[in-house]
Amino acid sequence: MNDKIKLACIIDDDSIYVNLIRKIIETKKLCDNLLVFNDGKDGIEYFETILQNLEDEFIPEVILLDLNMPVMDGWEFIERFTAIRNKIKKTITLYVVSSSINQSDIAKAKSLSSVKNYLVKPVEIDQLEAVFTKTA
Amino acid sequence: MTESALKEKLIPNSEYCYWELNDNTSYWSKAFINNLGYQPNDVTIKLDFFLNNIIHEDYRAHFKDNFYNLVRHDVDFKQNVLLLSKEGKYLEYVCKTNDDINIDSKENSKTIFFFKSKLNTHEKVRGGTFYYHETAMMTSTGSWYIDFEKKKSYWDHITRKILEYPEDFIPSLKMGLKLYAKEHQALAKTVFMECGMSGKPFDVEILMVTAHNRKFWARAMGKPVFNDSKEIIGLRGVFQDIDDVKQKEINLEKTSEIIASQNSRLFNFAHIVSHNLRSHSSNLSLIVQLIDDMDSIEEKLELMDNIKDVSDSLNTTIEHLNEVVTIQTNADQHREKVNFAATLNQVCTSISQIISTNNVTILPDFSEVKDVDYIPAYMDSILLNLLTNAIKYKHVDRDPIISVKTFVDFKDNDRVVLEIKDNGAGIDMEKFGDKVFGMYKTFHYNKDAVGIGLFITKNQIESLNGEIDVDSILNEGTTFTIKF
Repeated sequence: MNDKIKLACIIDDDSIYVNLIRKIIETKKLCDNLLVFNDGKDGIEYFETILQNLEDEFIPEVILLDLNMPVMDGWEFIERFTAIRNKIKKTITLYVVSSSINQSDIAKAKSLSSVKNYLVKPVEIDQLEAVFTKTA
Repeated sequence: MTESALKEKLIPNSEYCYWELNDNTSYWSKAFINNLGYQPNDVTIKLDFFLNNIIHEDYRAHFKDNFYNLVRHDVDFKQNVLLLSKEGKYLEYVCKTNDDINIDSKENSKTIFFFKSKLNTHEKVRGGTFYYHETAMMTSTGSWYIDFEKKKSYWDHITRKILEYPEDFIPSLKMGLKLYAKEHQALAKTVFMECGMSGKPFDVEILMVTAHNRKFWARAMGKPVFNDSKEIIGLRGVFQDIDDVKQKEINLEKTSEIIASQNSRLFNFAHIVSHNLRSHSSNLSLIVQLIDDMDSIEEKLELMDNIKDVSDSLNTTIEHLNEVVTIQTNADQHREKVNFAATLNQVCTSISQIISTNNVTILPDFSEVKDVDYIPAYMDSILLNLLTNAIKYKHVDRDPIISVKTFVDFKDNDRVVLEIKDNGAGIDMEKFGDKVFGMYKTFHYNKDAVGIGLFITKNQIESLNGEIDVDSILNEGTTFTIKF
């Protein structure tokens, strides 16, 4: 069994954060490829497009999703993603990764069936490693 | 008064104490005068004399009301009175207008009988009337009666007083709605109609208008009056002048609204501070983790660049937050007359570069309101933010046309309104309606969208107790409305 995740996806508008995560992933060799979208709209458009051509290699196994983003926020992404995820056979594990420590955000995210877990920023390197291996 | 004139007004041969009213003249029975211990010479047979010299002052106004209602509207009454005897003692009488006693009276004349009260309720009744009267006076509560059968309305003297009508004023049914402020006439109509038609009592706070055209808050209560066959034959009730209390209540409401809005802004601000600072601190902590984790010095040094990035964006955030804090402290800054046209000119000059490169047309119309008392710097900033916003988010297919106009909102206390309307890309209100004025919220793909301008604008306006609203249709344009 191949443990390693091939493709992961980050949807987040904070470029510093994205670069740091990228660095950790590269250093720790957590996955082969990384998709980055700056907001929910770019993200969901990608998933809606690959529905036309469901090739395994384009479908990420993990999504790290921010909540507060311009244009389309994380909540709307989850809503639209939930609507199409049944069409994708591959298991996609969605994590919400946000700096919001608002209890109602946390409870809301955890109540959604599409969301595996809620991680509060800053994420620990260990935490990130766990996310990438647990799903494998 | 001459002897003969006196005699004319005296009704000599009757054992009853009564007055006969005829052709605007009062005739008193001799027995009435004697009963109090007076001789005909001691008195002047006139209502004024009776009111000033015989009846106890606590009963005076009430008796006067009853008297005039009897003369002018044929309203019977029954009332307790205290009358001063020649000995200087007040004696208790009941006066009533309809009694079966057969006296020889002229046609069309009216009669008021005075019966010495047999019950020794003297003090009690006196006290009761006194308290009733005091209560009515001190609480400014006047009573009224509307008679459906005679199509007339009656007011007591306190109603006249709080409505500022003369004491001898005779109300008519026609005045009806005129007693109420325009904005409350519909309410008055509804409650009176419902009470008159279906017998539903009412108790409302309503703006009334006095004879001198002064508006005041009143509590109006009314209930139906039924006859024996359970038909509604009239309405009776009270008006209470509650202007003092109501004004205080309104002020209190305003104050609490201001406090609530300040509180919500502070709360919002605290939330923003914690959220925006957290994202930087979490990035810093990630960097530190990475540095710890890296083996080579080179790799560690590489991460220094990231620290610089975090530090820069942290600075920007702090600057933004500082700008917001300044708004709160500036709110009590000096206001002065700000001219819309001059401010707009100034702003347009400062962004003339952007205006010409984008081919912007600005259509000002300040004919209705030319200036407003405001903090000049805020007006600058509001116009600047909204104009640059409109230009930044112009529609890709057309040159921006921005109309800027002022008017007075008659529906909202004549407040001055500034409307800025563009033909730009528009905002999807269903998705973003509640977020337009949020911090770091942008709804467009422009790379230079920062999401701080509208947040600042809203804070500036609200810190001066104004309001800003947005309405927009995607691909058609956006309208911002500011109430000062």
